Amino acid sequence: MITREWPMYRVVLENHQLLPLLPRFNLKLGFGEKSVDEVCRAHGVNTDFFLEIANAYLDELYVPEEGLALVSLSTMVDYITSTHSYFTDIALPMVEEKIFRLMAHSALSEQEVNLVTDFFNDYKENFMAHLSKEEEHILPYVVELERQSTQKEPDPDFIQKLRTYSIREFEKEHDRLEISLKHLSELIIKYLPPFDDLQLCHQVLNDLAALMKDLVDHADVEDKVLIPRVAELERKLLNRETTT
Amino acid sequence: MRISGFILVIDSYLVRKGVLSMLNRIQGVRVLKEFGAADPFVAYLERHPVDFIIISQSGFDRSVDLFMTKPELLEKTILLEDPQKEGPTKKRPVHDVHASIHLMEEKETLIRKIRDLLNHQGDRHTENLSMELSPRETTIVRLVSLGLTNRQIAEKLFLSAHTVMTHRKNISSKLGIKSVSGLTIYAIVNNIITIEEVTSKPAR
Repeated sequence: MITREWPMYRVVLENHQLLPLLPRFNLKLGFGEKSVDEVCRAHGVNTDFFLEIANAYLDELYVPEEGLALVSLSTMVDYITSTHSYFTDIALPMVEEKIFRLMAHSALSEQEVNLVTDFFNDYKENFMAHLSKEEEHILPYVVELERQSTQKEPDPDFIQKLRTYSIREFEKEHDRLEISLKHLSELIIKYLPPFDDLQLCHQVLNDLAALMKDLVDHADVEDKVLIPRVAELERKLLNRETTT
Repeated sequence: MRISGFILVIDSYLVRKGVLSMLNRIQGVRVLKEFGAADPFVAYLERHPVDFIIISQSGFDRSVDLFMTKPELLEKTILLEDPQKEGPTKKRPVHDVHASIHLMEEKETLIRKIRDLLNHQGDRHTENLSMELSPRETTIVRLVSLGLTNRQIAEKLFLSAHTVMTHRKNISSKLGIKSVSGLTIYAIVNNIITIEEVTSKPAR
């Protein structure tokens, strides 16, 4: 488990899968001998939060605990937003470019190519719609909830809304974006004729696997950390308003 | 497949790691956290959604008060019995635990029991969220993958267009897949249709 005293360079050197996390926290390489805590402080990052996310990322059995209670919801929302940008601006275009290149130089029939490209285009559209729904409705709601809960006299309209809406509604319809990527990998491995460009094909499968893992971890942060905390805050605020 | 979250409350380090290693081999299981004798699993339960608690006899006996005040936890509890060492516990709520497994049981029996619990849990909580498609829905996924429109499907199956729409909605929410292209790939990898059938459609 990574702790705050570790030199940051060692964290990254020994766990290269953490590289995509760095830009989400706005951390840049060139760490020298600085510890995790020193690097985080220098960049205005909450060290506990970084540690929780990094450890959860490295060990899927790791469940974030006490440290996260100290992190404000708006910090979490910022992290979620920058993770979304990583997905839409980097990860997805990267694998997309490779898939289309793989298809363009394959011996696949036109129908087989269409099968894959149509799939990917629709997937991307659905993916974007999913993220924008979160960014336009869910995340602003979370920020507003936190703001209202610090007010002496919260907005009555907001409280009224709270009586009928809960973040748990969102949880119910929270699609698992990684499932379709698994189907795509399975299609390539099992059903499509083999590709001549083996290296590129393997890169596509690797990228898909990395993206799937990233999506699962991200959904875990939302479902296991963000949503329970938001639900708790909703309950507290409602109780407070009902008893006064 | 739905993932069920487990926590382990087992004093013995070696037994705990053994149970952990077994659970990690079962699909649909995720062990969220392990607790030894002195660890505060109660505080954890208050803050995290957990589907199952695997607890040793001694752990259970120590927490009897908790189970008396929160009987709903018993529904999630799997008691790990060690008949050779501790003798069956006599504390009252033990009769209401969801299931029990024995330390001396064979690997296959243990894994089967856990799987049964997972399947059963699916029935309890996620009746309409089940990933399984009905035979009718499977037929519709097949026809969608072949490129038929809702209206064509309705005609072919002697259904109203409205009924087909309802099926399509249910399919989408069960699978989390909305697009025709997504359903087509789903159908191929789940052997509802062959890739040859799909790709022998005339190209656009």
